[in-house]
Amino acid sequence: MRIETCYFCSSRIYPGHGIQFVRNDCKIFRFCRSKCHAAFKKKKNPRKTKWTKAYRKTAGKELAIDPSFEFEKRRNAPVKYSRELWTKTIEAMKKVEEIRQRRSNNYIMQRLRKGREVEWQRDVREVQRDISLIKSPAAGLKQRQLAEETEMEIEPETIEVVDAKGRKQVIEAPVMVPATGDMIEDGGDIEL
Amino acid sequence: MTYKRKKYHHGDTHLKKRWRVRNRKKDLDQIDDDIKEENADKLLNQSVDLDLPGAAQHYCIHCARYFIDDQALNEHFKTKVHKRRLKALELEPYTIEESERAAGFGNFKLPSKRKITTQNTAKSDADGDAIIDEISPSKKVKVSENDP
Repeated sequence: MRIETCYFCSSRIYPGHGIQFVRNDCKIFRFCRSKCHAAFKKKKNPRKTKWTKAYRKTAGKELAIDPSFEFEKRRNAPVKYSRELWTKTIEAMKKVEEIRQRRSNNYIMQRLRKGREVEWQRDVREVQRDISLIKSPAAGLKQRQLAEETEMEIEPETIEVVDAKGRKQVIEAPVMVPATGDMIEDGGDIEL
Repeated sequence: MTYKRKKYHHGDTHLKKRWRVRNRKKDLDQIDDDIKEENADKLLNQSVDLDLPGAAQHYCIHCARYFIDDQALNEHFKTKVHKRRLKALELEPYTIEESERAAGFGNFKLPSKRKITTQNTAKSDADGDAIIDEISPSKKVKVSENDP
């Protein structure tokens, strides 16, 4: 007696359960329940059906690549019974299962942590966007105006520019306004 | 008392026939096996079988279909059905082995993408290399007009 795996959802099929379909090239398709059989008959793609193991692994929802998956295998050669081997195997199975469980749980937690990071970034962005709800944009307006007036009195810098034709020209440097970060390019026009 | 219909499935034979198991066409994973070179050669150069359409001489390997002549086959290559099939085969099809890998028997392998092109029906030259003429007839006319 074997516990088979479902072709569609990759779940276990215990003896006496499910149904199987033998294709004309002798391949056996086993299904755990009528749901999976019906989906197969409808030619649904298990990789695109969200409730299957194949989907969860291709989409990176679950741990897919790990050495702990290499223990469980279909072994077609019968082994002669020995009590020692039996007990050892059972012990090993428990151990492997425990490790596998821990790793897959860890994988899922790592994956979810990413979401928290995104959430945090979204919150920061929201605060930056709606800062006016917390702090009035009019707060300290008069002081800012005063500061601007004093800044205006400063002569704009001039720089010497040699254009493509080798002519020298003196133009005013673009003024950076720190509050908005915008470039104000006055005097950028070059008269030829 | 109202009359209850007795025959619910009257006249739906054509619907049923389509879903008969004997009318099943090849699955994608079988076709994936056919595409492999050693199998493809055999399928593209089949011996004459008078029971099959076109005596099995015009076969589309991706759609697993026989056509009656070369023209029908070339027309088929231009259809949506064929193009859709090529697209479906781009990603490695799902197999029983993959379902087992997904269940935890061995590491899960992500399906790889490859390029699938329509089989070459054009005549081959002396070395056996296929000749692909991409130039459409309308273009050929233009070239001949310009040359002299």
